[in-house]
This record gives sequence, structure tokens and C-alpha cells, in this order.
Amino acid sequence: MLADLVQNTLDGLAAGSAYALLAVGFTLIFGVLRRVNLCYGPAIMLGCYAATFVHLSFGAGLLVLALVCVLASVLAGGYVERLCFAPHRKGSGIAAMVASFALWMQLEEVAILALPKHLYPFPALYDGKPIDLAGFTIRVEALVMLGAASVVCAALWWVLYRTRFGIAARAVIDSPLAAELSGISVPRVSMGVFALASAIGGLAGFLVSASFEQVTPMLGMWSTFKGLLAMMLGGLGSLPGAVAGALVLGLVEAHSQWFLGPQLRDLLAFLMLFMLLAIGPRWMTTR
Amino acid sequence: MPALLEVADLVTAYGKIEALKGVTLEVAEGGITCLLGPNGAGKTTLMYSIAGILKPRRGSIRLRGEELGGCAPHEAVSRGIALVPENRLVFPSMSVIDNLEAGAYRRQGGRAGRGEIDADLQRMFGRFPRLKERSAQLAGTLSGGEQQMLAVARALMSRPKLLLMDEPSLGLAPLVVEEIFRIVSELHRDGTTVFLVEQNAHMALKVAQHFYLMEQGRVSFSGDPGSLAEDEVIRRAYLGSAK
Repeated sequence: MLADLVQNTLDGLAAGSAYALLAVGFTLIFGVLRRVNLCYGPAIMLGCYAATFVHLSFGAGLLVLALVCVLASVLAGGYVERLCFAPHRKGSGIAAMVASFALWMQLEEVAILALPKHLYPFPALYDGKPIDLAGFTIRVEALVMLGAASVVCAALWWVLYRTRFGIAARAVIDSPLAAELSGISVPRVSMGVFALASAIGGLAGFLVSASFEQVTPMLGMWSTFKGLLAMMLGGLGSLPGAVAGALVLGLVEAHSQWFLGPQLRDLLAFLMLFMLLAIGPRWMTTR
Repeated sequence: MPALLEVADLVTAYGKIEALKGVTLEVAEGGITCLLGPNGAGKTTLMYSIAGILKPRRGSIRLRGEELGGCAPHEAVSRGIALVPENRLVFPSMSVIDNLEAGAYRRQGGRAGRGEIDADLQRMFGRFPRLKERSAQLAGTLSGGEQQMLAVARALMSRPKLLLMDEPSLGLAPLVVEEIFRIVSELHRDGTTVFLVEQNAHMALKVAQHFYLMEQGRVSFSGDPGSLAEDEVIRRAYLGSAK
């Protein structure tokens, strides 16, 4: 029993760190645009499809694939920003969100047209044996994910709190009007943040694909849901909150999968969100 | 004194409704010009039009003879205009010092160099010692008066030729208002040109050299403090007493 708890906790933290990357990207976009980008996950999925395509065509190695994932996600993200969010910057948030849903469908179709089978193999992040430590098995992929998430979060903190771009990004998140009055070009900074968030998402997509060793068009929906859920659990718009929400989500999923079975796992995660919304909606509006 | 800012026949509209219906006025270089007027007269609209937040429909805005009308807000800052907005609008979840850094955004990474910006930071801390004490504190935790000081300091960090202030005394205690106006006259003494929107005519009379009154999108009075005090209507509406 105790062994299960510890093992599940380890697995949950590993999954949670992938969610954390997704949630951090989602939160950055939400922060600068005050808009929900439903096409966040599908753009990442397209990035992973681009990497799969490169892998199948040229047999490229993992590092190249990671790079392709990140770059293609940034391109796809930029496409979404130009089409859905730039035209609605001062207009309706609902219109932008619905537009992002339309692009979701479009990107999924593009992926299916390019690679029509339901499932494609993705090279494994690590194909050796898991580490055996004091009776617990630790997957090396999990350690890589945890490490990557920590490094990305630290790097992001550095960018936001130690660079000129970071000051501009936080200013836009705090008050777009005051940012404009301070001489910050809000459209340009928003685009930069969008690209940064897409790059982080692309890296998350790469890690997830390489750890599952497969890609399907469902990766898009999966990424949007996990990112959105973690972001909301963390209180909408706070980066540390998003990371905490992601880890909680990973832990809850790991434990409920073990104790209640995979069918109830997702149910529990959504139930958690539902209760949070029902009991404390004020939680969601604090930043 | 030559005019630093010349606004001519400016029309700014929200949809079909014209908030400014042909405003013409001047701000003298090195002086303090004050704009009075009731709520809804279009004072803030004028400020936003000059700062590039709102695009004027017609007319011109010239800074030292150069046309500004229609340029983006960040460009207006580059050209030397800084607005201290109504309700201050500091960046609440950023530290005081990061707020000031944001004010110097257009100068960073440029020719100005780090040293010059750091020197300006020290100057701001000299002028506003309270901000120095609280430099690491989040701006959202400051009092209203302190936030107003921060908003002024942030605007000054861009080294503006023209400082626009939109009701800096709004919602502040009388003692704090006195301090704000003391700072405004200090800035004036140091050579900053100030264009001030104010409802508190008593305070404005102590510092400003020229007054405009705006009503329903038009300028209805222009004159020095003496003629302002002599105008029966204005005296009753803004100075609160008949002679």
C-alpha cells in the first residue's frame, strides 16, 4: 500500500511536469491576450506531426526532432495568433475563442491529410531499462520530463524577471493600456509571448510524444484539455499556480488510475474542476 | 513662450458620437497649462488622442511643429509624450522598480545605455524618497498617493518633452493632493512642460499659467489665472463661491 502510494506519487509528478509545461504556455497566452486559445494544443500536435514526418522521411534523431517540434509549434502558433487573435485584439473574446476552435478543426484535418493513419510511432525518449531504486521503478523518461520542466520554468522565470522583454511581457499582462502608455508595443510583445508559449508547448509535445512513443491527432485535444485544466486548477493566470495545478492534476490522476481505474481517472480530474468552480469561483479570478 | 504642443480642430469620435468636436488649443513650452471641465466634456478623450491611444478623425496634433496625429502610442512615447493616466494605472503585480524600468522601456537597449537609465532611477528615488523605501514592493500594495507618485515617476522615466497628467488628484486625501501639486511645480521649475487635466481648480490656480475650459467636446474658455477668477460662470462652477 505505502509502496503503491510512493510509486504513484513519482509517476504523478512525472506526468504533472509535462502538464506544467503545457499549463505554463497556456497561462502566458491567457495572460497577454485575456483570451482562451483552444487551438493551443492542436498547434502543438501539428508540431509533433511535423517532427514525425521528418522522422519518417529522413530518420532524424531525437535532438533534431525536438527542434522541429518546437519550431513547427511556433509557426503553427503564430498562424493561430495572426488569424484568431490579432484581428480581435480589441473586440470580442468569444469571437476569438470560436475562431480558435475553427482552426483546431483545420489543423487536425491538415495533420490527418499529411499522415492519414490513426497512429504513428515516435522514437522513444529512452529505450533502456527503468532505474530500480530501493524497490521503486523510476522511468528515465519521467526523470527527463521532470528535469526539462524544472529547467524551462527556471529559464522562463529568468526571462520574465531579468530581461527587458520580460518587463514588457509582465507589463502587458498587468495592464495593456498602461503598457502602451509606457511605450511598449502591445501587439509586438503579445506576439513574442505567443511564440514563447508555443515553443514551451512544442517542447512539452515532444516530451509527451517521445515518452508515449506515438502520435495521434488526439494529442491536440489532449494538450488543450490538460493545459486548460491545470491552468484553471491553479487559479487562472498565475504561473506558479499553473505549475502547482499541473502537479496536483498529475498526482490526482496517478493515484485515481491506480486505486479507481483508468475510466474514473479523467472523471475525477473534471470533478475536481467542477467542485472548484461550484465552491469557490473567486479562486478563479484572483491572479 | 513658443508653443510646444499645438492641437488644431481635433475631432475624435467613438463610433458615431463625437467626443471632441473640433478642439483647438496650445501648450506653451516650459509652462503648466491646465484643462478644466465637467465630467464627460472630453478631457480624457483629448489626453488619449494626444497620447495615441485614440485615433483622431480629423484635425492635427503637433509637437514642436511635427505632426503626431494618428501615430501609435509607443511612437508617441518615443517622440516625447508621456501620459500619467487617470486612476494612475500602475502595474500592480510588478515591483516599484520594475514599474520604473517599464517607463524607460523605449530607452533600454538603445543608445541611451544602462548608466543613463540607472542615473534617472536614482533621480526619481531622490525626488520620491517613498518609492526608494518601497522599491522592491509590489506596486499594487502601495497607497493611492504612492501609486500616483509612481505613475508620475514612471512617466518621467521616458524623459518626455511633454508630461500629460489626467486628474492626478482624483480620489486622494487633501494632504496628498498638496504633495502632488508641490511635485508638479517642482517639475515645472526644472523645465518640464506639463499639460494638466484637473477638477480641483483651487489647487490648479496655484501652479498653472494658462487655463482652458472644455465643455461638451469644445473649448469654451481660454485665459490666464486672473481672467479665470474674473469669469463669473467659471468662478461659480469651479471655485465654488460668488464674489
